[in-house]
Amino acid sequence: MSKKSFILSIILFVFSLFLLDRLLNEFLEKGLNQYYGIGESNEIALIGHSHLMLGLNKLQIEDTLKKGVSKYTREGVNVSDRLVMIKQLLKKNTNLKTVIYGVDAWTFTGEGLSDNSYKLFYPFLDDPIIDDYVYNNSERVEYISKKYLKSSRYNEQLISGAMRGYLKNWTNLKYGIVDTLKLMKTIENQTYRKINNNSDNIRVLEETLSLLRENNINVILLNLPTIDKLTTIQKEDFNNTFRIFKNLTNDQVEFVDFQEPWSHRYDLFFDPIHLNPKGQSLITEKLIEYLKFNDNE
Amino acid sequence: MLFNSWEFICLFSITCVVYFNIPQKYRATLLLVSSYIFYISWRWDFALVMLAVSLINYYSGLKINHSKTLKKKQYYLWFALVSSLIPLLYLKYANFFIVNINNVSKVFGASSSFSTLDVILPVGISFFTFQALSYSLDVFYGKTKVEKNVINFTVFVAFFPQLVAGPIERSSNLLKQFRDKHSFDRLNFIDGCKLFIWGLFKKVVIADRLAIYVNRIYDDPDLYNGPTLALATVFFAIQIYCDFSGYSDMAIGTAKILGFDLKQNFNLPYFSRSIVDFWKRWHISLSSWFSDYLYKPLGGNRVNYHRWLFNILIVFIVSGFWHGASWTFIIWGLLHGIYYFLENWGDAFLKLINQSKIKTYYFYKVFKTVLVFFSVCYAWVFFRASNITEAFTISYKLFFDWNGYLYLGASSVTFILCLILIALLFFVQVLQSKGIVSLNFSSSKVHPILQLLWYVSLLLAISLLGISSNSFIYFQF
Repeated sequence: MSKKSFILSIILFVFSLFLLDRLLNEFLEKGLNQYYGIGESNEIALIGHSHLMLGLNKLQIEDTLKKGVSKYTREGVNVSDRLVMIKQLLKKNTNLKTVIYGVDAWTFTGEGLSDNSYKLFYPFLDDPIIDDYVYNNSERVEYISKKYLKSSRYNEQLISGAMRGYLKNWTNLKYGIVDTLKLMKTIENQTYRKINNNSDNIRVLEETLSLLRENNINVILLNLPTIDKLTTIQKEDFNNTFRIFKNLTNDQVEFVDFQEPWSHRYDLFFDPIHLNPKGQSLITEKLIEYLKFNDNE
Repeated sequence: MLFNSWEFICLFSITCVVYFNIPQKYRATLLLVSSYIFYISWRWDFALVMLAVSLINYYSGLKINHSKTLKKKQYYLWFALVSSLIPLLYLKYANFFIVNINNVSKVFGASSSFSTLDVILPVGISFFTFQALSYSLDVFYGKTKVEKNVINFTVFVAFFPQLVAGPIERSSNLLKQFRDKHSFDRLNFIDGCKLFIWGLFKKVVIADRLAIYVNRIYDDPDLYNGPTLALATVFFAIQIYCDFSGYSDMAIGTAKILGFDLKQNFNLPYFSRSIVDFWKRWHISLSSWFSDYLYKPLGGNRVNYHRWLFNILIVFIVSGFWHGASWTFIIWGLLHGIYYFLENWGDAFLKLINQSKIKTYYFYKVFKTVLVFFSVCYAWVFFRASNITEAFTISYKLFFDWNGYLYLGASSVTFILCLILIALLFFVQVLQSKGIVSLNFSSSKVHPILQLLWYVSLLLAISLLGISSNSFIYFQF
């Protein structure tokens, strides 16, 4: 092989790699944006983690209220991640009027959610807000590789999300009924997730609400039910957390609590925290009723 | 330091650039320094063990060569064998023997027991010990020339591309290559990169993804039924192949870029039509090591029938024991020995009834390929299980517990992807077996542009779907 053809081959290889890398990123990012409803003219946004993801049916809300809904929910996102998600939406969803922000008794508990949840934002690294966030949380080598080799920002779950975005498939369903015996064992062994309110996390939520207020966005702090056994064992901490949510309300921020009367309806739960399809449908219906009622008022 | 790490890419790139730009006399030293940096990244004291084994065999080689009498040569050979195997036996097998002595003592009513040792097994100790020993044995049998340059010899033992998981090289192939002058060769560079990319794809995209399912099932086999355990076992068969052959490909590719030719270690083993054939295609460097240094010295097949059976069994049991200090590995080896005999007796029976021609039928070839694959898969149960009780529990469930549903893993997307990747691997291997696609530097019939797109796609798949695991399965050996 001559030197010339060797160099040409290398150039062609590197060029093809970067070209396909960029094309793949464009394709997947567009699909993900569609899946999460980023950059769309939706009036409502659902922000939260898997609790809200499995708890609400976006299409059911859209069909009934005739309003577009962005369901931007990611597994394991903490309050800091959600602040970034909201900043991202505020920049791209110019028609946004209401944010339904998922809360629960563990919203201010640092432990238990993913410590490296910043990795969830890799696909949106071209957005300066996300870029800053990832830069501040990741290691340099990791950051540089994700920044310049764009296909490395994805994994099979994100690819699946992108494909679902193109296919307009927004169902998030987990079938089955909670195993209460297993839960009782967890409670006996004290291996359940403890409520441990962290003042930094409270401050981040306050900052989030101020930002939304500045942008004239109404906020609903929505608590979806979790199983009663899990909250009664730490009743005092549970009440304290809910008192904080109530204190955060004002003319633009409401706290909607769906804990009761469903927390003892085990047939609605997939696991102690997440709702199954039956629970999802029921709670979505209740939220729609609430939103309709508020609209009329 | 793993092949799929930025640290390795930096080390290799610097080594490569410096290697081709310094005089020949410094090159072995450079490779030695790089190899020890590579190895020290695990633990510095492990490197001392490797250095000691290297120096013992270097010294023994010189002494065997200088000795005039056979007795003296034998003395130095035994010195090399014993002193090289002491670290391996102590660090890898001491606890196995202590536990088993304690168990036997308990049976005979002993009240006290020996306490186990708190030792950590150096990465790749079985590989570099066997590689170093092969040199002393080859010098003794006159198969290789003695190496007088200590740098060349120590880099032969520590050569970083194949240091921790093989292929186990022979001095007759590799040692002389450190004396040769290698110039940067563009074709070597391209071929090496291609093989490295394919190996990396097999490791981080296929093996590490299958490992998610396999680990979940094998970590708690009591929870799963026969079909699920069967699927996990088949997945493990693919996982261990992609993990180990992926490492070998990366090792051979890396060495090729530097101008070194390492031995082929895998040759489409799951397309084998017999157990004999399987062992000629799986971990070839280890099989040939045992064949040359254990089977043949025991008499090979030039002995009476019963002695031959014994020789075969010993080789398979020692091979299992080489992999790990556990009864599970011994049974794994033993199972392969039994397969070997059954196959041999089956062939003898066909001959007896004058039906040997059946072996040429297409149907029979397919049947044998499938039979060999599933037999090997069943043996993997013992290789993968944490202990002997667990292995037998899995075996029982595989045959008798077929109630309930097949568990497909936590994510259906991951499961579907696993199936697609296995199908892709199978497809590529069919093309390799037909000589359409390159296998270990053989020529490819695919158009260069398509080849370029294929390797670009592999890199993108690695980037998109690669999972970073902390190790390779064979590092533990």
